[in-house]
Amino acid sequence: MPHINYESKELAFKMVYYGPGLSGKTTNLVYIHKALEAGRRGDIITLDTEEERTLFFDFFPLDLGRIGGYNIRLHMYTVPGQVYYEASRRLILDGADGIVFVADSQQDRLNENVNSFRMLQENLGDYGVNWKEFPLVLQYNKRDLADILPLGTLEGQLGLNGIPVLEAVAIAGTGVMETIRVASREVIERFQM
Amino acid sequence: MNEDAAQNPGPVTHILSSLIERSGALTALLVSKEGMVITEAGDTSYLNTTAMAALVAGMFSATREVARIVGEKHFSILLQQGESRHIHISLIHDSKMMVLIFEDHQRIGLVRYEARRAGEELNSILMPTLKPSEAEQISTPQFKEYALNLIDRIFQAK
Ligand SMILES: Nc1nc2c(ncn2[C@@H]2O[C@H](COP(=O)(O)OP(=O)(O)OP(=O)(O)O)[C@@H](O)[C@H]2O)c(=O)[nH]1
Ligand SMILES: [Mg+2]
Repeated sequence: MPHINYESKELAFKMVYYGPGLSGKTTNLVYIHKALEAGRRGDIITLDTEEERTLFFDFFPLDLGRIGGYNIRLHMYTVPGQVYYEASRRLILDGADGIVFVADSQQDRLNENVNSFRMLQENLGDYGVNWKEFPLVLQYNKRDLADILPLGTLEGQLGLNGIPVLEAVAIAGTGVMETIRVASREVIERFQM
Repeated sequence: MNEDAAQNPGPVTHILSSLIERSGALTALLVSKEGMVITEAGDTSYLNTTAMAALVAGMFSATREVARIVGEKHFSILLQQGESRHIHISLIHDSKMMVLIFEDHQRIGLVRYEARRAGEELNSILMPTLKPSEAEQISTPQFKEYALNLIDRIFQAK
């Protein structure tokens, strides 16, 4: 459920980029931030290690515009993908309204993708959310590389039927805007107060 | 519980403003555990409150986990001491944080006392309920259609 502030007339949806380490979550967020007009975005916060691995989260607020007197915002987050940061990941997911699962398309990353998705299911379950009814899109990132998983691999292994699937090359920005467009549409279409 | 107060946010601002006055603090923020600013009072001109709220919520949720690990339900107060500015954060209702930024560290006792008092007042008026009539207006088909149009426009592929 989105977060509504009657006093400042704001409605905010929390979008979370989730996925295994190095899959390109931060790259997605940074690209979106750069691509937007300055008036639509607040400063980006990145809490990362010296090696630029996300340590806690990346965040920026994104203004969609005004509807019926309310300012509609997306609060954009990434989680840290490294297995080690499980506790932090779970915290960031709390209160999420929509999720982009950023998979690493490289064939040798199949297990990491599957394990990360299982963890996501578990994390959502902890918050009493059934992921099957949750706004969730799957992005196959790094389509520029050789030896990549064919589309359908993860859906098959994970039993994901009918969730939106997108291809991306986040370093070049390809598919990044389309992914957030589809993900935020899912959130808007499904939300109920 | 006072239902009117929960629906009308005025009293929350009032509590924070008088907290500022009595404690001599610079800024007071009420932040949801999801990292949104609910109410602010005092001087916020030097502060990116949106970023602040996201970070404070992260800090607090991390601290809560740390508390759990040592067998506490939560730590109800977080204090960060700087060179010239200090931050006092207290947990309200288990789901909100009241952030006080102050400069005179000598006043920590006063800040603590006033923060507790304001916290009790907030506890008694804040309810995690929505205002149903307004909430209904927001999830209407028309609202959704506008929102979808905005999304399509803003996220056009480049
Ligand atoms: N070839 C290729 N590399 C990419 C792509 N997207 C991201 N990368 C690279 O992958 C590496 C990791 O990207 P990040 O965005 O930091 O990954 P992350 O998912 O945020 O990683 P964690 O924060 O550790 O979870 C970087 O070196 C990126 O440049 C892509 O589409 N193709
Ligand atoms: Mg990252």
